[in-house]
Amino acid sequence: MPSLGFVTGIAPRDRTLVVIFLRGGADGLTLVAPVADDAYHRARPTLRVTEREGLPLDDVFALHPRLAPLVPLWASGELAIVHSVGSEDATRSHFEAQDLMEHAGTAAGGWLGRFLRLRAIGQPGALCAVAFGTELPAALRGAPSATVLRSLSTFSLGDGAHGMLRAIADLYAIEHNAIGESARDTVNALQRLERLANAPRPLAAADYPRDDFGEALRQTAQLVRAGVGLEAATIDLGGWDSHFTQQQLLEPAMDRLARGLAAFHRDLGPDMARTTVVVMTEFGRRVAENSALGTDHGRGSVMFALGGGVRGGRVLGGWPGLGSDALEGPGDLPVRTNYRNVLAPILSTMAEPSVVARAFPGFNLEPAALFG
Amino acid sequence: MITRRQFVELGGTLAAVSALACEEAPPQLASLLTPATEPVAPPASDDVDLVSHVVGRLSFGPRPRDHANVRSIDPDTDRAVERYVDAQLAPEAIDDTAVETRLRRYGELEESAGELYEYKEQVLLASLTSAAILRARYSERQLHAVMVDFWTDHFNIDSAKGDCRWLKAADDRDVIRAHALGSFPEMLRASSLSPAMLWYLDGRVNRYGAPGDRPNENYARELLELHTLGVHGGYTQQDVMEMARALSGWTVRSRREVVFGLGKVEFHPEWHDDGEKHILGRVIPAGLGSRDLDAVLDLISLHPSTARHLATKLCRRFIADDPPATAVDRVASTFVSSRGNIAGTLRALFATPEFMRVRRTKLKRPFHFVVSALRATDARTDGGPALHEMLRRMGHAPYQYPTPDGYADDETSWLGTLLWRWNFAAALASNRIAGTHLEPAAVRSTLGGEAGLRAHILARRPTVAEREILAAAPDSLPLLLASPAFQRY
Repeated sequence: MPSLGFVTGIAPRDRTLVVIFLRGGADGLTLVAPVADDAYHRARPTLRVTEREGLPLDDVFALHPRLAPLVPLWASGELAIVHSVGSEDATRSHFEAQDLMEHAGTAAGGWLGRFLRLRAIGQPGALCAVAFGTELPAALRGAPSATVLRSLSTFSLGDGAHGMLRAIADLYAIEHNAIGESARDTVNALQRLERLANAPRPLAAADYPRDDFGEALRQTAQLVRAGVGLEAATIDLGGWDSHFTQQQLLEPAMDRLARGLAAFHRDLGPDMARTTVVVMTEFGRRVAENSALGTDHGRGSVMFALGGGVRGGRVLGGWPGLGSDALEGPGDLPVRTNYRNVLAPILSTMAEPSVVARAFPGFNLEPAALFG
Repeated sequence: MITRRQFVELGGTLAAVSALACEEAPPQLASLLTPATEPVAPPASDDVDLVSHVVGRLSFGPRPRDHANVRSIDPDTDRAVERYVDAQLAPEAIDDTAVETRLRRYGELEESAGELYEYKEQVLLASLTSAAILRARYSERQLHAVMVDFWTDHFNIDSAKGDCRWLKAADDRDVIRAHALGSFPEMLRASSLSPAMLWYLDGRVNRYGAPGDRPNENYARELLELHTLGVHGGYTQQDVMEMARALSGWTVRSRREVVFGLGKVEFHPEWHDDGEKHILGRVIPAGLGSRDLDAVLDLISLHPSTARHLATKLCRRFIADDPPATAVDRVASTFVSSRGNIAGTLRALFATPEFMRVRRTKLKRPFHFVVSALRATDARTDGGPALHEMLRRMGHAPYQYPTPDGYADDETSWLGTLLWRWNFAAALASNRIAGTHLEPAAVRSTLGGEAGLRAHILARRPTVAEREILAAAPDSLPLLLASPAFQRY
């Protein structure tokens, strides 16, 4: 079976995957609200998204109004949503759930790190996998090379870099072997980045949120455009653990997420066709709101997939309803789609299906129809 | 300079030569050898000489005085090198108090397996990593440190899996460092009963309770494929399954099951498949119980395939990525005849003409590169988080390789790290790494000036082209450390 990369005409090696992890357990029922379901309104008398406020997606769901910047991406068919998605971990513990989701089982390494190592499309470049933040996320563990960056400016040789780089290039110029070749690639990548950093910023990029998240997205776009061999980037966005005063917590977080994604989309322009963004979280929240105007840890939530040829404008995963027989445990939206089945079709655009299967050992993949 | 006779009269073993030269040596003795103020002669030939070659391969790279110190062992270079090798093969005779003093602050790493659980996992990983860097940087027992690095990959354990978070520290101490230059069969046995290994390769859940139970094959497979016979070592899937049966019943007390005796390894006869097994054409009779373990280890630890597998890996580390068959043969046969004596096997390797002849065929892995730069520049370091971060960027963070095959030891796997090496060279040379400090002027003066520094770092005199490039640069040190020559050993 040929992988999708060949079908869509974009070679797997030209593709980039951007993983945004919403840390803290984001409430899927607020992000993508089942406004047509009466049970939802009964369970969330205070916190619900009303049918009037919601931005309609289909017969059942509406986007939270704070996600309005995503509407054009939905309308253009580039943004797909999967509902009632999550992992098999039922501990409802942030640590355990994130741990399982990122490792994808008890195998060593993270799913993304394993995938990058297994697919091994050749010489891993210095910037083939980048984690924005201060720590390598567990998902990227085991990658052939992984860079943790707060900013691309870290990626330089410091003062006098210019002269040093030229001298280094000269020292390696006499090496007619693999090291010399790798050195020349590296020097080229550095020069491309430098040119990009000095080039005037596209106007479209001006409306990234002015925070770490927006900056990480902006720099990811920069790396994609620079063609330095970025295979995967991970970005964390926190602030979703809404036990109390959920509205005050989630609204700014949704703002950042939606504005960031919209700016990234505009910034990348045609390069969005070879870049897929996936947004995930460790679990959703309890269906019923609590007495502190918040929600507690639950099970199913949502995932977003944007760009890279995803056939969007659809909410996948179906809707089981919120009747008591449909709920799990203490009253949680069940997980109907395992998150691996959302990641798998995206990874299949970057590698053979057998490689994707090995990145998720001990799990029988049934890839969601993100592309078909 | 002292004469060899004077040196012997000092009562020192030859091993002490390098010990005395180290910066923490008692000043009155050190001054007899190479007074700290007196410059030493750097390598002087246009090609890498024998001393540079051997020190480069048996250590994490020469310090400014190492070349001169080894030459001073004997006026005859071959003899000097031979005695340097002998000394390195007997690490227990080398005084290493300097590094032991530095490691004293990581007392938690000396705790028993059970006590390790009292510490935060992040603290243990950071301490282990710092200790590895400090040993590689400061230990006089350099070959031992190099072999610890080798075995750490051979018996790889990802410290992130399950209770390995706590138990890897005990494995590092009781398996890897305890046996690095000792007996391979003993090391293998220690590894098979290491609580961290029982966690990492699921041996602890390899249980046979009732007929029809399938053994967990994970450890059995890697034991054959990676630790001993090698993937083409002539075993079958049937052998793997039989091996798993023989190893069933060994487990380790874990956090979730018990409160007392955490990390304790024990044999549960009720989880052991005590029937007859057929492994590698041999019969392990029924009823041996826990003695199955020694029966199967005896079958494989000195097996000809194990000898060949280990000899190939050792020759890959010390000779070339694609090791010459004649050297592999000789090393494999010494492995068998010495009953798996690691020091003896290495002695044979170092005596092969292939080892003596090659030069600079190996690309330093990132850990080696980083430590060799610290050593080359006499940099002081705390081995702390700034260095851990650099190693992670280069994809070579100690104890964090996920799969049981360990970090690769070939050039291709590491070519993508050049930029971070240059970055490190620039940061180190301009003292921009927190917790690490060097004094370029002092290094230059130790080596008699700029020309000496160049010859020391390149391990030979620079070529005409190199001289021109270096002459045009405002500071040669970062360039020398970033140069292709310094990436090799």
